[in-house]
Amino acid sequence: MKLRRPGDKRQYEVELISRDGPKLRARIDGREIETQAEPLADGSTVLALGGRRIRVLASRRRESILVAVGPAAFEFVAIEGRGARSAHGLVTPEVSAPMPGKVLKVMVRAGERVEAGQPLLVMEAMKMETTLYADGAAIVKRVAVGPGDAVDHGAVLIELSPVSSPPVPASGPQDS
Amino acid sequence: MPLLEKFFVKIFRAVVSGDLCYAQPRPMNRIRKLLVANRGEIAFRIIRSARAMGIATVAVYSDADAGAPWLAAADDARRIGAPEAAASYLNADAILAAARASGADAIHPGYGFLSEHPEFARAVTDSGLTFVGPPSAAMAALGDKLAARRLALGSGVPVVPGTDAADPASARAFAAQAGFPILVKAAAGGGGRGMRVIESERELDAALEAAAREAKATFGDGRLFLERYLARPRHVEVQVLGDQSGKLVTLGERDCSIQRRHQKIIEESPAPGLDDAMRARMAEAALSLFRAAGYVNAGTAEFLIEGENFYFLEANTRLQVEHPVTEMRFGCDLVAEQLKIAAGEAVADAPAPVGHAIECRIYAEDAERRFRPAAGRVSYLNLPAGPGVRIDTHLAPGLEISTWYDGMLAKLVGWGADREQARERLLGALAEFSLLGVGHTAAFLRDVIAGDAFRDAALSTRFLDEFFNRWRPAERDLEAALIGCLLAADSHSNADRAAPSRVPAASRSPWERLPRFEPWSGR
Repeated sequence: MKLRRPGDKRQYEVELISRDGPKLRARIDGREIETQAEPLADGSTVLALGGRRIRVLASRRRESILVAVGPAAFEFVAIEGRGARSAHGLVTPEVSAPMPGKVLKVMVRAGERVEAGQPLLVMEAMKMETTLYADGAAIVKRVAVGPGDAVDHGAVLIELSPVSSPPVPASGPQDS
Repeated sequence: MPLLEKFFVKIFRAVVSGDLCYAQPRPMNRIRKLLVANRGEIAFRIIRSARAMGIATVAVYSDADAGAPWLAAADDARRIGAPEAAASYLNADAILAAARASGADAIHPGYGFLSEHPEFARAVTDSGLTFVGPPSAAMAALGDKLAARRLALGSGVPVVPGTDAADPASARAFAAQAGFPILVKAAAGGGGRGMRVIESERELDAALEAAAREAKATFGDGRLFLERYLARPRHVEVQVLGDQSGKLVTLGERDCSIQRRHQKIIEESPAPGLDDAMRARMAEAALSLFRAAGYVNAGTAEFLIEGENFYFLEANTRLQVEHPVTEMRFGCDLVAEQLKIAAGEAVADAPAPVGHAIECRIYAEDAERRFRPAAGRVSYLNLPAGPGVRIDTHLAPGLEISTWYDGMLAKLVGWGADREQARERLLGALAEFSLLGVGHTAAFLRDVIAGDAFRDAALSTRFLDEFFNRWRPAERDLEAALIGCLLAADSHSNADRAAPSRVPAASRSPWERLPRFEPWSGR
């Protein structure tokens, strides 16, 4: 299975080799790892890894796998391994909401050309303003939202047609 | 003996009416039922103190918080409106109506929301209720940052050089004189909101516009002011308590230098390495300022320290988020003190402080991506405990963390005989903390507090930029997380085999019976 973390270019190749009682063998990016996995009654699993024992818990939410490793919280998405999106890693032809919130301001119109780093839209969540920027040069195909719209996590805000090829890797949104 | 008879009758009447209390002045506004005009951990926190004093409590909630765990802790709970704060937690009319309907005789505003609105404090007292906080006039004098600066200047308290003319032309003139970067702040601001660093003239217009918009949206007041930006200051604040007779005391200081987005995330008391002379001068400055404002109840004077100088930054006319570090060190309950003061009791002299306390705030944010807000539902929760460990939180399994409100999830405090013991205990507590379902900053805080820079107390408001600018999760945690993904996939394809077979099904935790523990089946 191929995984990556949202907003991170790095990909991980993980594979379960065998599981025999608590004994677990896995391959992570070509490296074989052996560990003891002890399930606890609360649904978590204690992993013995590199001389420490750590509580791990995973569950799926929408397209993501959420994992807690002690105090560390991770989110992964599985990469399907086919199609243009995965071939280019993270680059997507659309700008989607990084969190649920409200659209404050849209700075671009359909048909307009935008350059890498150009601000596209301002969102508000938890009273903080977040500006979303263009990852690369593109033509705005469609603006799906307007000021005042409440949007859900992952909602498509703006569709883009990249004009350079291959597209510049996504840099992700940045706080203004 | 008619005279003696008269005397006994007088005493009898005094005892019956409750007037015979020479040791303490009789409380003027005894609080019987307290409405808590807030949400989250602080609502819980206030309810707990009130309950311990035999005061009944009323919680209020927006539609987004119906079913929230702190509502169960209160004796009564009233809906006050739609999820938008403006319709609920900032809706003074709805809160006052809830107080009337529930028979509350006092309102505690907590922090944030209406806690620093003088009009609200006035509306509460005008309705014949007790406001647990300062008088409206004192709040206006200190709570407005511009007015507070003027009051400080008038009381001989040093302030950061700045100007209250914040139109683009005046801002350019001020920047030309003070030099970039400059800081733009909301006069009505707090918690870093409506505040921006302007690095260059190019950003000036956009930054002023954005700050005014954020200030207007958040505080309903778009007034701004400018300050010289201090390069590497420490943020140290003094806790003040004052009663209605005019007596004021200080309860030490808190170093709150470690901030992201101008918002504190780690606080400690005492401030490491602060010399006693400066400590005393700061306490004296805080007292003269609060005395000048005619202050009553709990408040905080915030200062920036740079080199040998300290400057008054702003006053917080309410309970601070980070008040637990003061409570742990002084062995007191600041909310109980607030309630006693509001009821007319005298403030006691500050007890002698013991040891050291450090607090960190866990937020629903992504520390890897500029602390972007996160949201989700709590599907697994493990809270720490142990000697010298305190956690203030409203987290509960199943709780939906939305982006309607501030994203603080929990405050974790470690207390120890010295700073190092407090730090070690806090690290132990962070290691025990685990939360699945919403992204959060606990691992980031663990790495910050475990690091050399924090251990050596290299504190300044630039701390995170200097030492944790590009934080990434530990590789070994990442590796464990990837194995977690495999376990989740495996337990789905072999649901029966992967379940812990040693435990009979009926005695298993309810967690295992919930659909979210069939990780590949979706929500």
